[in-house]
Amino acid sequence: MANLSTLINSGVSRRKFLSGVGASAGAVAALGVAGCGGGSSSTPTSPSAPSAAVTDADILNFALNLEYLEASYYLYAATGSGLDASDTTAGSASTNTGVGTVIPGDAAAVPGLTAAQQQILNEIAYEEQAHVRFLRSALGPAAVPMPDIDLSFFGPLAVAAMITTAATGTGSFNPFSSFDYFLVGAFIFEDVGVTAYSGAAPLISAAGVAAGYLTAAAGILAVEAYHAGYVRTSLTGRAIAAGSASAYPYLGAANLVEDLRATLTVGDSAAPSTTGSVETLLTLPTSLTTPSSIVAASAANAVGFSRTVNQVLHVVYGSSTVGASGGGFFPKGINSPLATTTA
Amino acid sequence: MATQETQLLDEIIATSRRKMLSLGVSSLAGFAVGASALQAKAATAAYTDADILNFALNLEYLEANFYYLAAFGTTINTANAASTAAGAPLITLSGTVGTSGTVSGGSQVPFTTIPVASYAIETAVEEGKHVQLLLTALGSSAVAQPAINLGTSFQTLATAAQIPGGASFSPYASDETFLVGAYVFEDVGVTAYHGAASLLTVPANLVTAAGILAVEAYHAGLIRTTINYLDPTGATIGGYTNLISKLRASLSQAGLLGVTPSAFDSNPDDFGLATFSVSLGGDASTTSTRITDADATNVVAFARNTTQVLNIVTGGGAVNGTTAVSPALGVFFPAGMNAGPNGFK
Repeated sequence: MANLSTLINSGVSRRKFLSGVGASAGAVAALGVAGCGGGSSSTPTSPSAPSAAVTDADILNFALNLEYLEASYYLYAATGSGLDASDTTAGSASTNTGVGTVIPGDAAAVPGLTAAQQQILNEIAYEEQAHVRFLRSALGPAAVPMPDIDLSFFGPLAVAAMITTAATGTGSFNPFSSFDYFLVGAFIFEDVGVTAYSGAAPLISAAGVAAGYLTAAAGILAVEAYHAGYVRTSLTGRAIAAGSASAYPYLGAANLVEDLRATLTVGDSAAPSTTGSVETLLTLPTSLTTPSSIVAASAANAVGFSRTVNQVLHVVYGSSTVGASGGGFFPKGINSPLATTTA
Repeated sequence: MATQETQLLDEIIATSRRKMLSLGVSSLAGFAVGASALQAKAATAAYTDADILNFALNLEYLEANFYYLAAFGTTINTANAASTAAGAPLITLSGTVGTSGTVSGGSQVPFTTIPVASYAIETAVEEGKHVQLLLTALGSSAVAQPAINLGTSFQTLATAAQIPGGASFSPYASDETFLVGAYVFEDVGVTAYHGAASLLTVPANLVTAAGILAVEAYHAGLIRTTINYLDPTGATIGGYTNLISKLRASLSQAGLLGVTPSAFDSNPDDFGLATFSVSLGGDASTTSTRITDADATNVVAFARNTTQVLNIVTGGGAVNGTTAVSPALGVFFPAGMNAGPNGFK
């Protein structure tokens, strides 16, 4: 796994090396200030200038970027196309004005679904679409547009996770090819969404708390955890039904994704997540007396994990590089003054 | 089975419906409703983070004992071979604030399927760890475990929810009824932690509460997913979820005490597993499941204030008309919750 970022960065996916963009400790310090209640302005900071303080709008826009990604994935999987154009535009006061495009890769409506499975895909797609709309509505003129999103990154990601050796074409990982592959694709996102909201919630200012931003963030956090619970329960249940790990390789693939995410969760050693772990591997219960492993949480106290903004960026950029301002699912980075990894 | 509790429940449902007729449909748009519901509580007392965490501890006592009994056949403070083998924490009941009570009812479920049995064991262990965490964090401020009814309480609630055969309903009878029993708790845990999050003042507490909120939502997702797999058409246990959610929504609305009520039938704060119609991208509407318990427009999970939560777990004991009753008694907490002087009970 030591060559992980090399592997990803040399993959076929578009990627971006950022050389020498200051991995400023200042940005980290700014997060701390905001966490103490500063920065309640709703005006987004210019992305071209180092941010003096993280605003509540920055936090919500950070979440919006992630929701653009999730919604695009689920909408393609459920319907064969992505967000409606009207859900991707820039707010009138956003300093990011260009609307990004989706590089679809293998993206298509997942074939061979039962009616019940199709309804599940519809639900998650609808709910992530609703989060996009909700955050855009809450941000109003400050809403950033959808950034470039690369759904062909699943291939190189699966290679980096050592699920397969082919990044494209025959033998590559394609989450749009079946319900089980879809579950693994969904698995990539959901636990990350949970940890991202958990990590971002404490950064919301006192004014933002009074405005209801915190409770909204907590409410979206819960929904992401419902989704993660769905995905992990389904993978576990289908593995139990199949009878063995070898008969259901998707469980093992999901665990390889967890290993990769853990490896990419770098920097911010004093982050809220404790004891150096941010992942809980799935297990295959084999009797009536063995526990499952549905919940992703600390083994010590069963508290869910958190990731800092910086750590989430490392995961979605597929890069452990400090100073990276794009890559992976976001080839040109997210639309945010927080777009560069800082530690 | 017209117990005092069920009569109370019926009254509350009737009252809530009457309210609906006289009040306009207020928007559930997330930011506003969350804030106003919480401000309604925030105006009342000089509580501390410890009071909020103790409120959570009462709920965790309830949940943990339910899962320990179902999975292992024992309570959280008495180890047996099954709980030890699963690594479930043995809880020393160190809380002293309030009056300690005993746990009544409950027995090990004769599980027949590996998924449900393994989920029960996992959840028991995790809820036990939550009790341990809160007891440790609160130290000498921790409330004692109150009297908890995990037997007849389920029949009372099942009857009030109009579940067929509710008067003899037992969550310990089978894999399926266990899931229904678990369903009663998990979404409530989500809304309770969600409602409490904004009240906490110490940042570290908020991080922890957010982490527990996530775990409760994982559990809720697990339970709802499993019920949906077992009964996708809603003929039995899937249908029961709708009855339970409707009851919870009624009790929750009553707990708002007229502060920010929304029309119950058109704007409930709880949804069972019935399918609904959605529009994706620019497409026409299609059918969706409802694994997630959240408002239909913004898909932000619901938050409940402490009175709303109390009214649910006591089966209407927290509200008399438009007045809050404290301590709230009934159903799962026959002697009420334990709380400090400014706490919630």
